[in-house]
Amino acid sequence: MEWRLYSRDRVAMFWTMAFPVILLLGFGTIFRDSGGPKLSVVRVLAAAPGPQDAALDLALADLQLKVQALPRAEAEARWARGETAAQLEAEGGGYRLRLNSYLMAQAGATAGLVNQAWLVAQARLSGAPEPRRIPIQVESPGRKRSANYAAFLLPGLLGLNLVSMGLFSVGMVNVSYREKGKFRRLAVTPLPKWIFLLGQVLHRLTVTVIQAAILLLVGYLVFGIANQGSFLELLLVMALGTGCFMAFGFALSGFAETSEGYAAISNLVFFPLMMLSGVYFTLDSAPAWLQRLVAGMPLAPFLKALRAVFNDGAGLAGHGLGLAIVAAWGLAAFFLAVKRFRWA
Amino acid sequence: MTESALRLRGLRKTFPKVVAVAGVDLDVARGEVFGLLGPNGAGKTTTLEVIEGLTEADSGEIEILGLTWAHNGREIRSRIGVQLQSTSLFNKITPREALDLYGSYYPRRRSTEELLALVQLEEKADAHHITLSGGQQQRLALAMALVNDPELVFLDEPTTGLDPQARRGLWDVVRRMKAEGRTVVLTTHYMDEAEALCDRLAIMDHGKVIATGTPASLIADLALPSIVELTFEGNAPDPAAFEAALGLRVEPRMDLWEIPTPDPKTLLPRLLEAAEAAAVPFQQVHIRRATLEDVFLHRTGRSLRE
Repeated sequence: MEWRLYSRDRVAMFWTMAFPVILLLGFGTIFRDSGGPKLSVVRVLAAAPGPQDAALDLALADLQLKVQALPRAEAEARWARGETAAQLEAEGGGYRLRLNSYLMAQAGATAGLVNQAWLVAQARLSGAPEPRRIPIQVESPGRKRSANYAAFLLPGLLGLNLVSMGLFSVGMVNVSYREKGKFRRLAVTPLPKWIFLLGQVLHRLTVTVIQAAILLLVGYLVFGIANQGSFLELLLVMALGTGCFMAFGFALSGFAETSEGYAAISNLVFFPLMMLSGVYFTLDSAPAWLQRLVAGMPLAPFLKALRAVFNDGAGLAGHGLGLAIVAAWGLAAFFLAVKRFRWA
Repeated sequence: MTESALRLRGLRKTFPKVVAVAGVDLDVARGEVFGLLGPNGAGKTTTLEVIEGLTEADSGEIEILGLTWAHNGREIRSRIGVQLQSTSLFNKITPREALDLYGSYYPRRRSTEELLALVQLEEKADAHHITLSGGQQQRLALAMALVNDPELVFLDEPTTGLDPQARRGLWDVVRRMKAEGRTVVLTTHYMDEAEALCDRLAIMDHGKVIATGTPASLIADLALPSIVELTFEGNAPDPAAFEAALGLRVEPRMDLWEIPTPDPKTLLPRLLEAAEAAAVPFQQVHIRRATLEDVFLHRTGRSLRE
């Protein structure tokens, strides 16, 4: 009977609701923008271009660098607006490279390339033999030939999607339904709270998997990104992560009376989690204690495992501890959710 | 099998600003239809909700079918049926689905088809809940209360918002429930409903039970079980002078006078004579027996319908 209870619960409760496919489409479009950052430099046009300029421009063209040639006035205007990462201009008999201090990550890389071009240009001008370059091979840690930035981004986005779905849509919907008294009638039935919550988690899990599948499909068709690892393992990791963060959502929803209250609480939890998760930047330079703390939280190990399977095709074997952490957090959150859950 | 369906002793429930239930004792025997009659705000719904386990009482004892919430919560829930004052369901769920779903929560259940037929919702069985009229939603809520074939059913204001035909229909359902051996506890502010359906009832006001008994006994307890009514066109005039002349109390209502009396037959000729003499411009004379409304009025000085 218990089985019938929650399978019924999941199906009947939600299948009649229109589910936003827009969410999925929206995801697809966001994806389109992540072609990966291209490095670019603004080249201020010389008043009277000479052989030096020609050589430099030629060398620059060889590189993976987007050169935007602009007259001085326009370039300065762009600079003032903060849109330029690096600007190359003539000074004295040579050149000067100005870097935008706010965009140092990009600018630094650009500077390296520009100087490389300059060295090559100088070599050519002085008639020296063409300098040879050390060949570059780009590969991801798992030694599979991963395509591009988009491929790297996808699991991160996926993970983030799961987290935000869990915290925001699941928890919020729960609180708002409770506010509207939709659960009240259930309070007088013998349905146990934990089965009810489990039914919701399973339902959301199913929906999320479908969402993710569509995301992967879009990624594959449009960008050619393919899952490098086994689909089963990918599914496993995703299910585990989803379950964990859904439980978080439910647990949090037990602390809020109103939708506004829940919005406040969930944001409070979400942003630190996101910042520390390693999605946007690595924490290599963070103090050791912080790194250990983050490793113990569920998001970082989850993303690690996800990337490992998706980008590197690795097995889940090495991630046992990480996955156990995720599972443990999930169970704790579920327990808290059941304890704090009120029908009305 | 215990004889008592429901036992309440000293039930109290207060909210921050108001004492909703101020010490209530009740006994409901198995197989009877018991009513809680009172105006809005009397505490009927709160009392029911505490009994049903939706709200926790501040103090007092509750015994349902010989069981208590502390020890037998799950069992109680399996054996009772509840129709809340208003049932809020998901917008797009259909009656059939709702009955299937809620039925699945119980070890024993009645068939969806049977329930739909009982409340006459067969035609709307697959309509979205939000498209149902108020009355249809009420009927669904009633069917849901019966889905687990319960021994004890709680109905909170079951006919509020129903048109007269639907009301009669619901009264029939309640009578059937009684015939099937179920115990029914219902709340209402309609006196005719209480009289028509209830074997016994408790009259509530301001969180307290002010009288209990069968409808007949409650009325009989009134010293003056009959009322002679004089109806006027327009507003009823001030009866003070007439009262003095007649020597009997006259209650003015909007467009009529009520004269309570133990013996209307003897009073009538005297009344008509006095009225003629005083040139009282009444249009109609009407003798009726006292109703629960009069009982309530007598006890509280207020009308049930306030």
